[in-house]
Amino acid sequence: MPKEAVIRVENARVTKAGRTILSVDRLEVSRGERVAVIGESGSGKTTLMRMLKGYAPCEEGRVVVLGDALPIRERRRMKAHHRRIGMIHQHFDLIGRETVWRNVWHGRLGCVSLLGSALGVRSARDLAVCGRAIREVRLDDKRLRSARTLSGGEQQRVAIARALAQEPTVLLADEPVSSLDPALAEEVLELLLSVCAAHDLTLLMSLHLPALARKYADRILAMRRGEIIWDGSSDSLSDETMDEIYGFTGANGASNGSGAGAGRIAFAWPYGWRGRPVPDG
Amino acid sequence: MAGGAALFLTASALLLWSFRGSEFSFGQFWRGIPRLLHFFGRMAPPDWSVWDVLLAASVETLQTTIAGTFLGALFAYPLGVLAASNWTPAWVHLPVKALMAFIRSIPLLLLALLFVSAVGLGPFPGALALAAHSVGVLGRFVAEEIEATDPRPLLALRGTGASSIQIIQHGLIPQVLPQMVAHLAIRFEMNLRDSAILGLVGAGGLGFYVFLYVKQFQWQKSGVLVLAIIALVFAGEFAAWQVRKRLM
Repeated sequence: MPKEAVIRVENARVTKAGRTILSVDRLEVSRGERVAVIGESGSGKTTLMRMLKGYAPCEEGRVVVLGDALPIRERRRMKAHHRRIGMIHQHFDLIGRETVWRNVWHGRLGCVSLLGSALGVRSARDLAVCGRAIREVRLDDKRLRSARTLSGGEQQRVAIARALAQEPTVLLADEPVSSLDPALAEEVLELLLSVCAAHDLTLLMSLHLPALARKYADRILAMRRGEIIWDGSSDSLSDETMDEIYGFTGANGASNGSGAGAGRIAFAWPYGWRGRPVPDG
Repeated sequence: MAGGAALFLTASALLLWSFRGSEFSFGQFWRGIPRLLHFFGRMAPPDWSVWDVLLAASVETLQTTIAGTFLGALFAYPLGVLAASNWTPAWVHLPVKALMAFIRSIPLLLLALLFVSAVGLGPFPGALALAAHSVGVLGRFVAEEIEATDPRPLLALRGTGASSIQIIQHGLIPQVLPQMVAHLAIRFEMNLRDSAILGLVGAGGLGFYVFLYVKQFQWQKSGVLVLAIIALVFAGEFAAWQVRKRLM
């Protein structure tokens, strides 16, 4: 536990059009942790990622990522912040007409000079980093194919390689496998975890399926209505807590996690999943 | 039902009003057909003795079109980026959009007249007129194409630490390039067609000689040049179609 915290959030609030869409009392993620964020859609998973990436500014409280206090106003420092945080998206967000190789090289854009990138100059280091990233995601034989001709799983692997080319410290993955079929989803998650282990990356990923979160993460954050309502190790997540997270009726506020990192219910929604009030029991 | 009937009546009234206003007369048109045929008849057989004029004027038309389209594109692409509402703040894209709409609102022949009075007769004012018109039309298409681009890959590039210019070069341009080239090809085709008539106001090219020979009642010579215009426009359309076919 005395590992260095790479993400530290205290009382942060993000609003949109005057409405609070994210409110995090306290969150600490240490170096090398693999955290899954679960919750229904609209529960604030993406906003949490966007806040940590620096896209969604928090209005109050403290957000410190890798020693940088957010939001960062200065453009140069913001670019440096972006470079250290790789991000993977649900729809891959590649430049479809470009080759795999160029898409991966885009990950280096933050490290090369404007003139260098305009003229297409690549340093030996750029070549080495990109080459290694492509080998790690096992797309070496397809490096000159245009990205849109690849399958969904392969496209997500290109996106992972692009993030690795940034040489990041933290990797945020926003629904990385939601557009993939189940077998591919597991394959991509396994790859994601292996590259995180190889590069000692801290991983924060949002997942639609709690089963995947339990299998692939050390720690799970559960979100509901913009708040973190459960935070604990993935094996301490009981079925009752799951019901609580997804709005089914269950043990009221009782955590039955045991051992180290036991779950903590910070907020219990007093309605059943059909929106009917739940009688106290 | 009542709404449909009202729409039908309004549309009928509008059409009737317009046909009356334009003094439309079917009988007059019918009686005019022989004169129309006579007009074409006077052009036949084409007098090929003007082949040197034909060649020079065709080349001049082509050169005017290429120069005008290039000059227009040179300004249209950067202005189009500035006019894209998802890339620039309102105080930039609104004035640029307004400027391009203003240019579009000036008819091409009027633009050519303006430039003829400014720089004199010849193909140069024609090229300027085509360039100005292209800025208005092409710039708008560029802006619309950029506004319709999927923003998510661009945001992903921003997330790698890329600067705005890098995002334009490596994210935006590869995404919109095929459409940009297709619009340019269409613009070229349109400009070729337009440059053939710019001669009417003294701005050079094939149209100038068609008009010249018509004024001198040398119908068979002007007929040759009309054929050249048709051939040139066909060739331009074919070239633009080839470009688009290869891109899509």
